[in-house]
Amino acid sequence: MVAKVKVATAWLDCCAGCHMSFLDLDEALIGLADAIEITASPITDIKEFSPVDVGIIEGAIGNTHDEEVAKELRANCKILMVWGDCACFGGICTMRNLFSKEEVFRRYYLETESTKDGKVPSSEDLPQLLEQVKPVNQVVKVDCYVPGCPPSSKAIHYALTELLEGRIPVLPSEMMRFD
Amino acid sequence: MKEITLTINDQQVKGREGDTVLEICQANGIDVPTLCHLEGLSDVGACRMCVVEIEGERRPVPSCTYPTRDGLVVKTHTEELEKYRRQILELIFTERNHFCMFCEQSGDCELQKLAYRYQMDNVRYPYTFPSLPVDPLSDYLVIDHNRCILCGRCIRACSEIAANYTLDFSRRGWRTLVSADLEQPVGESSCTSCGACVQACPTGAIFSKLSLYKGSTSDCQQITTVCSACGVGCELNVLVKDNNIVRIEAPRLTELRGPLCSMGRFELLLETRPRVTSPLVRGKQGKLEECTWDKAAEVIAGRVSGLKDGFAGIMSARLPNETLSLFYKFIREVIGSDSIDTLGGRSYRIIAEGVSQLQNGGKGLDIECPIEEILDADCILIAGADPKKTHPIIGTLVQRAVSQKGAKLIVVDSSQDVFPLWTDLWLKPVAGSEGVLLNGLAKIIIDKGLVAREKVTAEPVQSLSQYKTGEVNRATGIERESLELAAEMYGQAKRGVIIYGEGLVQRNDPSIVTSLLNLADLTGNQAGGRLRVISLKPAANSRGGWELGLAAGEIKRDGLKGLYLLLGDEQEDEELLDWLKGIDFLVVHASYHSPATAIADVVLPSPIWAEREGKYMSMDGRLLELKRVLQPKDGLLQDQEILIELSKKLGHELRPS
Repeated sequence: MVAKVKVATAWLDCCAGCHMSFLDLDEALIGLADAIEITASPITDIKEFSPVDVGIIEGAIGNTHDEEVAKELRANCKILMVWGDCACFGGICTMRNLFSKEEVFRRYYLETESTKDGKVPSSEDLPQLLEQVKPVNQVVKVDCYVPGCPPSSKAIHYALTELLEGRIPVLPSEMMRFD
Repeated sequence: MKEITLTINDQQVKGREGDTVLEICQANGIDVPTLCHLEGLSDVGACRMCVVEIEGERRPVPSCTYPTRDGLVVKTHTEELEKYRRQILELIFTERNHFCMFCEQSGDCELQKLAYRYQMDNVRYPYTFPSLPVDPLSDYLVIDHNRCILCGRCIRACSEIAANYTLDFSRRGWRTLVSADLEQPVGESSCTSCGACVQACPTGAIFSKLSLYKGSTSDCQQITTVCSACGVGCELNVLVKDNNIVRIEAPRLTELRGPLCSMGRFELLLETRPRVTSPLVRGKQGKLEECTWDKAAEVIAGRVSGLKDGFAGIMSARLPNETLSLFYKFIREVIGSDSIDTLGGRSYRIIAEGVSQLQNGGKGLDIECPIEEILDADCILIAGADPKKTHPIIGTLVQRAVSQKGAKLIVVDSSQDVFPLWTDLWLKPVAGSEGVLLNGLAKIIIDKGLVAREKVTAEPVQSLSQYKTGEVNRATGIERESLELAAEMYGQAKRGVIIYGEGLVQRNDPSIVTSLLNLADLTGNQAGGRLRVISLKPAANSRGGWELGLAAGEIKRDGLKGLYLLLGDEQEDEELLDWLKGIDFLVVHASYHSPATAIADVVLPSPIWAEREGKYMSMDGRLLELKRVLQPKDGLLQDQEILIELSKKLGHELRPS
């Protein structure tokens, strides 16, 4: 039996929709399970990366934690694939880039209508928000991209299948979606 | 133009010298991607998507602005060019905040389609995330600068199609914004909400509030029909999803009869009046109560039999010919009354009488010219009409003729200058003296020898020669210099067009119409045997009704016992309503509840424009097809079916002719 391809996934500044789309592969997951082994991933709830063939990132880089995870996964994988508009382009998370960090904090922790005596949390244990949210390729090298908000299960399946067959996937035009 | 041969992608193709490379590519089925190009608008080379390699040029050039010459060697899809195109797309995406996931235009966006085509799955440049405003303050439009790619299609549509010149670029460089009247909110600007910019915008930067998130083009069925808002007879492309109208577009935005106005594009969708959904009869307590069709027909039959001429029928001129003529038959043959009119029928009688007084008046309304002549005019005289309000597309054509082709504009109006930005001369006659003014102008034209050669001996020349210009000054209150200037401007015109409307017709004096037609006739302002004169008729199918002879006579109000008002989706005016109040037995057949239905004895439901089909005749005499775009709700009968059923109750068989 051929050894399974090892895959690790991570979600960063995002909504988890891309991972949901992956799970939406439904019965196709059974076929994939014969070919790949998911190690660290929000799905397995394993958080420590070990060396894998394919790393997958969903989400943009919004804080120091995201940056660290992206770098660590990059260091542990041979091919890095990103899923979704946030990871590919920055996506909806970058809407906060239209405001300063201070404005974002003030609105979120102090000014929301339901907040009373709000306080901006600060602790050395908390990751620091970056000044700007960035797509993954502005922090680490990315090998292939599956855009979409979220990408369709079909697109994710296509990309994984291409990888398994030894090709770097580029979504064909008719499979491209930004919404 | 000279035919030339050029080589595109190693193939010999033919074209005309001076056509752009893009035009020749498109004519030969070579798909060069574009963004800022929109067929029918001028080209500016703003987006650079259409770049091509041309032998002898040092770098790629935009094909949309490059005029061809014989022997040109062009390459459109080299690896290098495709690389540039993808690069341009990436740069456009970094320049502003393009978020497709919540964009109204996602699915219909040309920028998005190109990004898909070029498989743009990442962007290699840093984004700029500019902080840009959204202007949602107009009634119909939203401008979202975040999604603007500065292609300028909206600006060109606003100036070249709408001739309204509201939109332009403000600021410079990457701070450039599309702005209305020096950065006014669109709702407070000179914008007329014609929506040409909405349709021209390739992205989600300008969109319609009324269509927001209702569906994209691929979800919709598209039906081409005719607008029922006024008599111009514009074609509408109606996009329908799940029996709801998503939006209305111009099927051929950049063609002469293509553009729409706010009435056709937006206001048709704004209806808030409650629908009449079932027949109603006035019950014992004096309240309108729902009833069956049968019961309503019985009540009507019981009240109208034997009334004959004591019963009259009035119909809206927004209804198609088929409905109008069947209603006419119903009143004449089934009821046995000659008392029939269309709303606005009085205008017809004035115009028709005025035309018949003309020497060659035998042509009836065919004496008028098609609206295309407006764009061809070198002088336009507008008398007693406010086209921008009543027939906005006529206003657009006037502004195009004046601003793009240098036509002179004379406004004759006793209360306002209806084109304040464009008028060369505003003659403000004392109200009611318009006829004197028009005759006075004719007299000055005769005196100045500006009468067409073949008309010098015509009868009106003889009688008008007796006219005293001094009296014209006194009666109209206009000084001689202005009269002379107007006479020269119009008299010297080779293709002078006169547009008149209700303001003139409502003087109730057919001779004013005759004077006006005489003016055109004497100066030889003719086109193909028609005078260059256009009357703005009040409703979408006024001309249709008039040509069918349905507005020939006034309704005799004395001794009137009952009236059937076939109102459709039109709104009655105060004058009509006052009259209706005094009628014993009133049937109102209408789409919407209104003050008229409130005082009716029987109310019958009627379809709205979108639920009807039939023929319209535009005000300049073209026969157009009104198509059904929405399926009426279950149980709603077409007007004709109701008339046929009613006739049965009255013992007649009514057949559509």
